[in-house]
Amino acid sequence: MQPMTAPLADRTASLAETGHSPLLTARDITKTFDRTRALQGANFELREGEVHGLLGANGAGKSTLSKVISGHYTLDSGELTYRGQEIRLRSTRDALRIGIAIVMQETSLVPDLTVLENIFLPELGRPGRLDYGQLRKRGQEILNDLGQGDSLPFDWEVRRLSSAQKQLVEIAKALGVRAKLLIFDEPTASLSPGEAERLFDIMARLRDTGHGLVFVSHRLEEVFAITDRVSVMREGRTVMNAHPTATLSQADLIRAMVGAELGAIYERGETHHVAELDAPVALEVRNLASAPAVRDVSFTVRKGEILGLGGLVGAGRSETVEAIFGLRPRSGGTVTLAGKPLKGDRPQTAIRAGLGFVAEDRRTQNIVPDLSVKENLLLAHLGAHRGFFCSYGQREKKMKELLAKLGMPEDRVADSSMLNFSGGMQQKIIIARWLLLEPSVLILDEPTKGVDIGTRASIYAMLRDIAAEGVALVVVSSDFEELLGLSDRVVVISDGRTIADLPSAMLDEESLTLLAAPRTSMVRNTEMLNDLAREHGGSGFWALIEGERLICLNAVVSNPALDPGFKAGQARELGATRIPEALRRREPIFVPEADRARTTLVVPMTSPRGHDLGWVGLSLPADRPLPAPDTIKSRIDTMAATL
Amino acid sequence: MANSEALDRRIPASPLKQFAQRLEVRMLLLALLIAVCLSFLSPFFLTKSNIFNLLDQSVVIGIVAVGMTFVILTGGIDLSVGSVAGLTGIILGLSLQHVPIVPAIGIAVVAGGFIGLISGTLITVFGLAPFVVTLGVMAIGRSLAYIFSGQTAISNIPMGMQDIVYTNVLGIPSNVLFLIVLYLAAWAYLTYTKGGRTVYAVGSNKEAARAAGLNTTFYSILPYVLSGAFAAVAITFSISQLLSADPLMGNGMELDAIAAVVIGGASLFGGRGSMFGTLIGVFIMVMIRNGLNLMGVSPFWQGTAIGTVIILALLVERLVSARISR
Repeated sequence: MQPMTAPLADRTASLAETGHSPLLTARDITKTFDRTRALQGANFELREGEVHGLLGANGAGKSTLSKVISGHYTLDSGELTYRGQEIRLRSTRDALRIGIAIVMQETSLVPDLTVLENIFLPELGRPGRLDYGQLRKRGQEILNDLGQGDSLPFDWEVRRLSSAQKQLVEIAKALGVRAKLLIFDEPTASLSPGEAERLFDIMARLRDTGHGLVFVSHRLEEVFAITDRVSVMREGRTVMNAHPTATLSQADLIRAMVGAELGAIYERGETHHVAELDAPVALEVRNLASAPAVRDVSFTVRKGEILGLGGLVGAGRSETVEAIFGLRPRSGGTVTLAGKPLKGDRPQTAIRAGLGFVAEDRRTQNIVPDLSVKENLLLAHLGAHRGFFCSYGQREKKMKELLAKLGMPEDRVADSSMLNFSGGMQQKIIIARWLLLEPSVLILDEPTKGVDIGTRASIYAMLRDIAAEGVALVVVSSDFEELLGLSDRVVVISDGRTIADLPSAMLDEESLTLLAAPRTSMVRNTEMLNDLAREHGGSGFWALIEGERLICLNAVVSNPALDPGFKAGQARELGATRIPEALRRREPIFVPEADRARTTLVVPMTSPRGHDLGWVGLSLPADRPLPAPDTIKSRIDTMAATL
Repeated sequence: MANSEALDRRIPASPLKQFAQRLEVRMLLLALLIAVCLSFLSPFFLTKSNIFNLLDQSVVIGIVAVGMTFVILTGGIDLSVGSVAGLTGIILGLSLQHVPIVPAIGIAVVAGGFIGLISGTLITVFGLAPFVVTLGVMAIGRSLAYIFSGQTAISNIPMGMQDIVYTNVLGIPSNVLFLIVLYLAAWAYLTYTKGGRTVYAVGSNKEAARAAGLNTTFYSILPYVLSGAFAAVAITFSISQLLSADPLMGNGMELDAIAAVVIGGASLFGGRGSMFGTLIGVFIMVMIRNGLNLMGVSPFWQGTAIGTVIILALLVERLVSARISR
C-alpha cells in the first residue's frame, strides 16, 4: 500500500464537495480458498454519502467481498481503487489506516476493557501515555455526531453491554480512526426491531455526513428501508451492479439472487404432480422452541420420505435439529418419534429411540481424530450400547455390508486416522456410523458441506437408497438447489419459525429464497390474517403480485370453500387461482368472481417508509353482508404503519 | 455406489513406519538406551538386586501414574495426587489405630476417591479449569494432612502392614506383582471396554463423543475418582514399607507422575496415550534416579538431571516425529 499523500487528500476533499464521487471501486476481484472459488469476478462501486446494499444467497460471496475490502483477506487478482488511487491491502490495519472499517458481530472488541478503551483500541498500541480526558472528550463528540450522546457508559467493561451497545462501540471505534467507509455485515441479526430502527438512524446520519456505507443483509425489507443503491452477487460474481433501490422490486432482487428465468420455473411448479405419501409418520415436531434461536417449529416426516429443512444461515435450522436430538435444551414444544414422545435430555435417549444425527461440522462434531476408522464407525454403536465391553462383534456383519456399499476396502477400516480420507469419504463414514444402528429417522445437517461436487452425487444416491429402505430423512441444507433436488418436501424456517411446508415440486429456488428471507412483519401479519379470516369466516392471504403472476407469502383459510387456490410459498399465474378477477382488478372494493360464490378485497400494504410490501387479500362468501372495505383497509394500514 | 472416487489424501504408511510412528516404541528405545548407558557407568546397575530395587521403586509412582494416565487421556490434569496421597496416608495411619488393616485401607481408598469425585464434578459439571481445581485441592489436601496428623508422623503402624510388601508370590514381591496386574487391568479396561474407549473419545473430541450418545459427563469425572483412589493405594504401599505415615508424604509426586505419563507418549490435550507408554515413562524416571544414586550424585543435582532428561526427551521426540510424519 502506498501512503496517502497530502495532495491526494486535497483532491478528495474537493471531490467531496461535488458529492457522489466514487469512494471505492472493486473490479474483477477473484479469491480462492483451497479449491473453492469464493469470488470469481466481483465488481462493486461505492459512492460517498450512500448506503449501498450488498445482497446474495447463501455462499454468493458477499461476505468474502466485504472481507477483501476490509483487508481480512487479500485478493488473488483484480483491482481495488479507493479515493481514486489503487490500493493493496495486506491486513485490516492497512485498511483501517486509510479509513476502511468493518462493523462485525462483536468479534473485534476486547470484552475485559472498558468502552472507552475499546473505542480507542488502536491508540493503545501507540507509544507514550494516553490522555484519558482527551479520549473521553473525543468519544463524546463521536457519539454526539451519531445522535447517541448518552447511550454508552464509557467506564463499563464491554462484556456488560447489550449486543446493540456493542455494535455502537464498533461503529464509534471505526469513527475513532476517522473511517470513511464502513461495512455493516448482517448488522441487525441480533437486534430487536427498535434497536434496528436506531441503527438505521445512525446509518442515515453517517450517510448524510459523507460516509460511504456497505450494508450486507438477507433482509429485503431492511434493504428497501435503508439503502440507496443495491448490488447483488451470485456464485462469486456481481450480477446486478449498483442499481438505484427505488427502481427495484422484491421480485427483481430475488430474480437476480437466484438467477433463473421466472417463467421456466413457474411451469415446472404447475406441471409436476406430487404423490402424497401415506406411509406412517416417523417423526413429528410440534411447536418446538429452544431459546434463543428456535421459536416455533413444527413439521412431520413419514417413513421413506426425504424432508428438507430450508432457510438462510442463522435461521435456526441447526439449532432446531440439535434440540430434537437432545444436544440443546428445549424450552417448549413436543417431539414424537414413532408415536412415542421423545425427551430432549441427551443424545443417548434419542439414539436408543431410533434417531440418528449427522452434525453440521465434520471436524468438530463428528470425527474423533485419535480413534481408528473402525472405532469412528462404531462410535454411535458404543453410545447406544448397554454393557461393560464394547461388543463391536455384534455389528461386524452389518459393518461389512455397509463398507461394501461405500466402496471402501475392508482393510482400510484399520487405518488409525479418519483424517487421511477425502471429505466425501469422511462424510460417508459418518453417515454409515448411524446406518449401523438401523435408525428409523436420520437427520443430516449440511451433509455435503466441504464435499467436492463429484462425491456429492454419490452422497445423494446414498441418501435416496436409505430413504427407499424406509428410513425417514431430515436434511438441513443452505444450498437451495440441493434441497429442492433431494427432498420430497421442504419446510422453510425463518427467524426460528416454520413458515412454509410444501412439496418440493411446488417450489423453486426463487420462491424458496423469497420465503426464507426473514421478515420482521411475518409474525404480526400472520396474526392479522388469522383474525380477519376468523372474524369474517373467510380466507386471507399475503402475496406479491407482479404482472400476471403471484407469489404467496402467507395464506390462512378458515373456510375451506374459500381456498384461494394457492398456499404459502407457491407461485401462480393469476388465471390459475380461484380469484383471478379480484387479483387482476385490485380495487378498493370487494370484487365478486365469475361464479358469484365468493367476493374478494385486495389491499396494498405499504411500509412506514413507503415501500411496497405486497398485497393483502380477504375472500368472503358473497351471500352474506360484507364489512366496509375501509375498515379492513385501515386495519391493514395500522398494522403496516407500526412495522 | 461409485467405487472409483479418491479414497485418500495421503498414502498410508508401511507397517514398519506405522510401528515407528508410535511414540511408545521410540520411548522404549530411549529406556533401553538409558539402561545400557547406566550399566556401563555403574557396575551395580545391572545386578539382580538392583533390578528388584528398580521395580520396587517403580511401584508407588507407577500406581499414581495409572490414575494420571486416565486423567490426561481425557485432556485434564491432576495436580492434587501428591497431597491426596499425603492426606489419605494420614487417614490410613489414624484408621489403623481403631480398625484392622483391611477396613483401614478401604477407608483411605474411599477417601481418595471421594476427593477425586469432588474435583471431577467441579471440573466437568461446573466447567472449571482442571489445573485450577486440582491446584486448590492440592493446597487443601496438604493442609488437612498436617492438621489431622497434628504436624507429626504417625509411627505406630501395625507390623502386619509389612506383609503387603514383603510377601513373595512365585518369587515376585507382592507389590511388584500388584503393579503388573494393575497395569494389565488398566490396559484391558482402556482397550476393550465401553468406558475405556469413551475416555479416549472424550479426550479426543468431547463434542463428537456426546453427539454419538456417549456418557461424556460420567467418563470425564471417573478419571479423577480413580486418580484420587490410586493415590491412596500408592501411599498404602509406601506406608507398609516405612511403617510410618508422615504428612509430608507424596510431596512432588504429581510432577513425577505427570512426567512419566508425558514421557510415555500421552498428549496433554487428551485422546492420545497408553498404559504401556506410561509404564516405560515410569521406568525411565526411576532408572535415572536410581542410576544417579548409584553414581553418588548429590540428591540436590537429581532434580536438574531429571528435568533435563524430560525436556530433552520431548524435544528430540518433537523433532523426530515432525520428520517421520512428513
